[in-house]
Amino acid sequence: MSVNNLLENWSQFRHFHPVDDKPHDPYKWAMSIDLDACTGCNACSVACYAENNLPVVGKEKYAHGQAMHWIRIERYWDEDDREFPDQGAQFLPMMCQQCEAAPCETVCPVAATNHTADGLNSQVYNRCIGSRYCSANCPYKVRYFNWYDYPSDDNVWPAEMNQQLNPDVTVRGKGVMEKCTFCVQRLHAAKGTARSEGRIVRDGEVQTACQQACPASAISFGNLVDPESRVHKQWQAQQVALDKDVQTKDKEEGGSELRGYRIFEELRPYPSVMYLERVRESAV
Amino acid sequence: MMNSGFDRRDFLKMLGWGGVAVALNGCGNTSVDDGKETVVSYVETNDYMIPSISTYFNSTCAQCDAGCNITGRIREGRVLKLDGNPDSAINRGKTCGLGQAGVQHHYNPDRVREPLLRKGGQGEAITWEKAYALIAEKLNGVSGEEIAFLTGGVSGHLKVLLGNYLDSFGCKNHFVYEAIAPAVLRAANKKSYGVEMPRFNINKAKVVLSFGADFLGAWVSPVHFSQQYAQFRKGVDGQRGVLIQVESKMTLTGANADRWVVVRPGTEGILALGIINALGIATGDIAAAVKGYDKARVSKETGVPPGQIDKIAALLKLRSPSLVLAGSAAEGYAHGSQNAAAINLLNQVLGNVGKTVEAAAVVPFPQMAPATGNTAALKTLNDGLNAGKYKVLFSYAANPVFTAPGAMKFKDSMAKAGFRVAFAHYLDETAMQADLVLPLDSALEDWGTQVPEYMAEGAQINIQQPLMEKLHANTRGMGDILLALIKLRHTEEYKKFDDYYAYLRTAVLQNKGALGGGVADDDTFWNETLSKGIIKPAGSSHVLSGNATAAGLSLPASAAIDAQYPLQLIPSVSASLRDGRHTNQPWLQESPDPLTTIVWDSWVEIHPKKAAELRIEEGDIVEVTGKNGSIKAQAYLFPGIHPDAISIPLGRGHEALGRYAKGYGVNPFQILDAVFDKETGELALHETRVKVSKTGQRFIVVKDEGVAGGMQMGRKIAVRVSSDKVRLSEEV
Amino acid sequence: MKDIREDIAWAKINKDVLGSLENPRKLYWVILFCAFAAFGVGIGCEVYQYQTGLGVANLNNPHAWGLYISTFIFWIGMSHSGTLLSAILHLMHADWRKPIYRFAEAMTTFSLMTAGLFVMVHIGRLWQFYYSLPYPDERGIWPNFQSPLLWDAMAIFTYLSSSILFLYVGMIPDLAICRDNMHEGWRKKLYTLLSLGWEGTDRQWRNFRVTYLTIACFLIPLAVSVHSIVAADFAMSQQPGWHVTSFPPYFVAGALYSGCSGIITLFIILRYVFKFEEYMTLSILKKIVRLTFAIAMVWTYLNAVEFASVWYSSDQASKDILIQKATGTYAPFWWGMIFCGSIVPLTLAFKRAQTSIPMLFAVSLLLNLGMWLERWMIIAPTFSHGYYPWTWDHDQWPSLVQWGMVFGSFGWFTMLFMVFCKVFPSVSMYEVKEMVYHRSLHLKKSETAEQGAP
Ligand code: SF4
Ligand code: SF4
Ligand code: SF4
Ligand code: SF4
Ligand code: SF4
Repeated sequence: MSVNNLLENWSQFRHFHPVDDKPHDPYKWAMSIDLDACTGCNACSVACYAENNLPVVGKEKYAHGQAMHWIRIERYWDEDDREFPDQGAQFLPMMCQQCEAAPCETVCPVAATNHTADGLNSQVYNRCIGSRYCSANCPYKVRYFNWYDYPSDDNVWPAEMNQQLNPDVTVRGKGVMEKCTFCVQRLHAAKGTARSEGRIVRDGEVQTACQQACPASAISFGNLVDPESRVHKQWQAQQVALDKDVQTKDKEEGGSELRGYRIFEELRPYPSVMYLERVRESAV
Repeated sequence: MMNSGFDRRDFLKMLGWGGVAVALNGCGNTSVDDGKETVVSYVETNDYMIPSISTYFNSTCAQCDAGCNITGRIREGRVLKLDGNPDSAINRGKTCGLGQAGVQHHYNPDRVREPLLRKGGQGEAITWEKAYALIAEKLNGVSGEEIAFLTGGVSGHLKVLLGNYLDSFGCKNHFVYEAIAPAVLRAANKKSYGVEMPRFNINKAKVVLSFGADFLGAWVSPVHFSQQYAQFRKGVDGQRGVLIQVESKMTLTGANADRWVVVRPGTEGILALGIINALGIATGDIAAAVKGYDKARVSKETGVPPGQIDKIAALLKLRSPSLVLAGSAAEGYAHGSQNAAAINLLNQVLGNVGKTVEAAAVVPFPQMAPATGNTAALKTLNDGLNAGKYKVLFSYAANPVFTAPGAMKFKDSMAKAGFRVAFAHYLDETAMQADLVLPLDSALEDWGTQVPEYMAEGAQINIQQPLMEKLHANTRGMGDILLALIKLRHTEEYKKFDDYYAYLRTAVLQNKGALGGGVADDDTFWNETLSKGIIKPAGSSHVLSGNATAAGLSLPASAAIDAQYPLQLIPSVSASLRDGRHTNQPWLQESPDPLTTIVWDSWVEIHPKKAAELRIEEGDIVEVTGKNGSIKAQAYLFPGIHPDAISIPLGRGHEALGRYAKGYGVNPFQILDAVFDKETGELALHETRVKVSKTGQRFIVVKDEGVAGGMQMGRKIAVRVSSDKVRLSEEV
Repeated sequence: MKDIREDIAWAKINKDVLGSLENPRKLYWVILFCAFAAFGVGIGCEVYQYQTGLGVANLNNPHAWGLYISTFIFWIGMSHSGTLLSAILHLMHADWRKPIYRFAEAMTTFSLMTAGLFVMVHIGRLWQFYYSLPYPDERGIWPNFQSPLLWDAMAIFTYLSSSILFLYVGMIPDLAICRDNMHEGWRKKLYTLLSLGWEGTDRQWRNFRVTYLTIACFLIPLAVSVHSIVAADFAMSQQPGWHVTSFPPYFVAGALYSGCSGIITLFIILRYVFKFEEYMTLSILKKIVRLTFAIAMVWTYLNAVEFASVWYSSDQASKDILIQKATGTYAPFWWGMIFCGSIVPLTLAFKRAQTSIPMLFAVSLLLNLGMWLERWMIIAPTFSHGYYPWTWDHDQWPSLVQWGMVFGSFGWFTMLFMVFCKVFPSVSMYEVKEMVYHRSLHLKKSETAEQGAP
């Protein structure tokens, strides 16, 4: 390995997401979350703990803002000072948005977090030195740092609790960053199976753990490149394009009557999660 | 008699059917390659068992009584994850957070591992032989009258076996106790519709008007209802369903309502009658009964503005069918039955019965039907204990020392039983009071059948089967224990059953025909059954015999404010902690309460207006005092509550139950007044009146929500749109 | 007022400066011990943190960075003093810098070494820090050249090595003086080795001048770039409060500012401790003070530019942070920064203050405090109040472990500096001689002129 190699090949590693110099093919994993269906029940979050070996940090550490939930359910109230929240609350499941032009990626000094060919923001635990610059630059603050060595903490996975750990997922030691991976271990398995059968992953063949649990089926997940996928259809129906920072429909006067939107689109991270607005009945 | 060879034998059986299951599924259905096989154990690996490739077993979630069907993922002989069984009509592949945490029940480090006999203050490990002998000795010469068997809700073959066991003494004292159960509703439904638990088709309704039924949270069958709710929101004929929730403390369901109507605690029934009045379509005695409930009066009593009543009535008239639900919030009063009856009347008036309220399917084996629990049973038991009636008390799947209202002083009553046996997974508060604690297999190690109380579509019997070998050598399944005990009395009759598995198999195969087995041979049918995890017998349906009458309805005016105890205490039930039996599952402790986002602790919800009046701020430790004691907890200012009420969640405040539960939060059961529903004798959960005072201490509330407190600060994060501004019909 | 007397004997200069190298007073040992103890506290904290995890620093999500990075920037800023005095003023022929640049350069080097420590204690996996270096790797894995943190690592290493070189090269003639005047012993050996056979020949002087000038020229853009790159850590990010175009000049100004105030502090201490009144004269101090005042005003102006551009922008998130800084949890510290950084230096405008040693000492400490607060106020508010309101967190304060390491860093710096002063001449002898010579020439010239030209 030489500097020549670096100079010659560097451009190959860097390109501008999500413009089409290198379209994702055959996979681009994406999500859509229907906030009108989401009830805020938290099942997705618990499922993520179960699937991804997330440590339970305990009350003390939680109090210090050191919780490790890769997906958190946020609860918002109306902001018009009414006495009672008579239109209910609004819930929003928030996890890594798998940004196409991820602000966290460019700043990592060691390239421990970077983009995969199938459009994920990957996190390489072994490479991470724990600078936390990625977290500093993530607009959504969905990166979680291992402030302690949870595997060796007393009450995180005492015997027999450790037997539940998913062997497909690493248990992270202290000093590394982690975050939602779109359950990459499941994607990996599904892609392997599909490859050995000479096809691509079919829609619905792979589910993320949060999606699988969600009692209200509020989460859809799939391959945005696949025109047959539900996610593709939803994004298309909502006229939300991955590579835009302002959607054409949003420029229309008087609104588009469509619900799809992405959070902080204007910051141009090009998130891979589309939300569908919560609806409230106007008649009551 | 059991011996130590039991584990292995039991498990070898499993291997037997497992092998056949593979033979069945091997024909092209599944393969190793897709990583999903319905196969089996690791202990005796067959060719198809490849380390690192998961196998999947179907079973039943035992975390609550909804009876969701689950599929466990097993690798290298360990169960790793539970997910919904897609073939289940109840949960269609989905689970709630509580269900997800089932593995932490199984792997919990604080499980009881040996039979324990009380020696002084300590539990001493003894052998099962000794334990059984001890029970036999204690039962010797005791009449059936003097034995009490307390359980939680039970159904299926376990219930049958338990019945047989009790019959062997001529004992009729089976007390089925559930701390939180829709017991009043069952009775009211029975009157209104002729059945205790009809089907509520939320997905078919265009408007759901719910009086405190937290069907997305903890009510009856939340996963099932959540799916129906999602369909309901997508709409029938493109028309999105509208949810109106009436309650005094916002539940998760209330937080999802299009209109959340805050009502003075206990006046739900009055509002229901007021809506009937405003609808103006009732006839006969109903019309007469609601005549007095004009808007002005109803509004005054309930605190709901007249305009709101009009709007609800108008919407209900416009969009049909609708569905009206009476939930636990409406039931929890001394006049709870009346409230529920008044609310049910709305369904009659609106013509929903037969459309959105339908008869549920029934399993054709009445002896297996669920024995549903209530608090009236506990009261009877408590009275009996106090009267010194019982020499031996058994307790299974209930924790009354923790959940009984403080006024009952159940712990003291329990001490009056001569000999107390607890069948337990953990040393919970009740087990701590027992003389003998018998350690149970976890739900993921045990065999069983279950009949859900709420039937989603057709009738179904759920199979519970081990997902892995036992973690601890000295735990036993409840069925096995009962079988061993009954063998002590009817040796001959039960000799042929080596264990509960054999009993179960025989019992199922005896009724193969009725259970849909057709002409399949026994092994095939049995293995198919286990492979599916659900038996779907051809069930009959009850017929709804509801009569629309307002006879006997009388609703008290809202209670005057008690100067000494001016606030109504609403003990709230959360979807993940329920009555506190699973509080020792750390995922649940750390899973934020959806509405307050608080973790690991209890809190007192108080309306900001009231808080300002009392000069209480978030994090102030307040003392909540009622007639039966007081508890201290942090205050949380919560807009979704009636200013004259406060709310404390149930489930925390354990003094036992292991490292993850003990010492976190407070237990509001302790300060509940012993007020009962006049008709059913059920504990009126919401009838405790309290006062709140500051202690001067202050904590920083441990919660997920940041300092912005659920505000978006003008940033477009969680966006909401009015229904007339969006085209839903073109959505995918 | 004369910046230096023109009639100091060269032998006296040698004697005074060499005298400062030996026979430390009791006070010296006391200070050294205290510095060592403070450093020990820092080490203790780091050992604890290393063993337990960074959680003990009470960092969290969103507060991913804390005092470690703030103090890192502070020390990087400090390091600009030496470059300013030696290189910039050297090129500008401001020869009043001569008696004081040496210790300022030492300050540069030691500040950088201190700053480097904070990078180490900050990262989660200290033992893997070398991943961030561009070393040839068998697997072809390189660090991410897009990351400002990487530029940082490279810039700081370059700056540190150049600074050490500059300090050393500039010291060679003095090391020869030491060599020639020392008794046999380890000192003599050390100076002999380090003075590289300096004889003061014409050729040596010529080469020396060229080398020194070259390094000086090299160092100036480097110094500017180092702090611009530290600024880039923030400006290149996308966070409100950080994504500010004026950050690079602002950081450089802040660096020069803290460097200057650091010089004032140390000037006064050295002058007192080593009795260097002859060389570190009030006149020179006054010049530094005026320079400090000027930089303070530049810094204030750049602050105003930042606030104004945020205020008149349409970036609500940045505005929110500005409001939060001025009115929220951090307000006392933020206003403290404004007070120390913009109000306190106004006193320097008064002539009386410019020569009052106790007053200047107090002011310089306040300015340093202000500059430290500035760095903290860049870090904390953006973390506590970023784009995403749900994760706003105003209640987390640095734990004692963090404070311990900040404290320890001052001990470490003092320790290095104290040792330096006893091993190397902290006043440049040969340059003071040059200065004295020039002054005497000048005096002669003016005397001749007064007497009337021949
Ligand atoms: S959401 Fe945050 S962590 Fe995820 S890709 Fe985007 S910037 Fe990175
Ligand atoms: S914490 Fe890890 S992933 Fe994040 S920027 Fe630092 S090294 Fe990269
Ligand atoms: S996609 Fe997977 S990793 Fe991400 S939040 Fe959902 S369950 Fe967790
Ligand atoms: S599981 Fe589904 S409904 Fe529940 S909070 Fe998560 S996304 Fe929302
Ligand atoms: S509702 Fe949840 S806890 Fe209850 S059975 Fe279903 S999955 Fe299990």
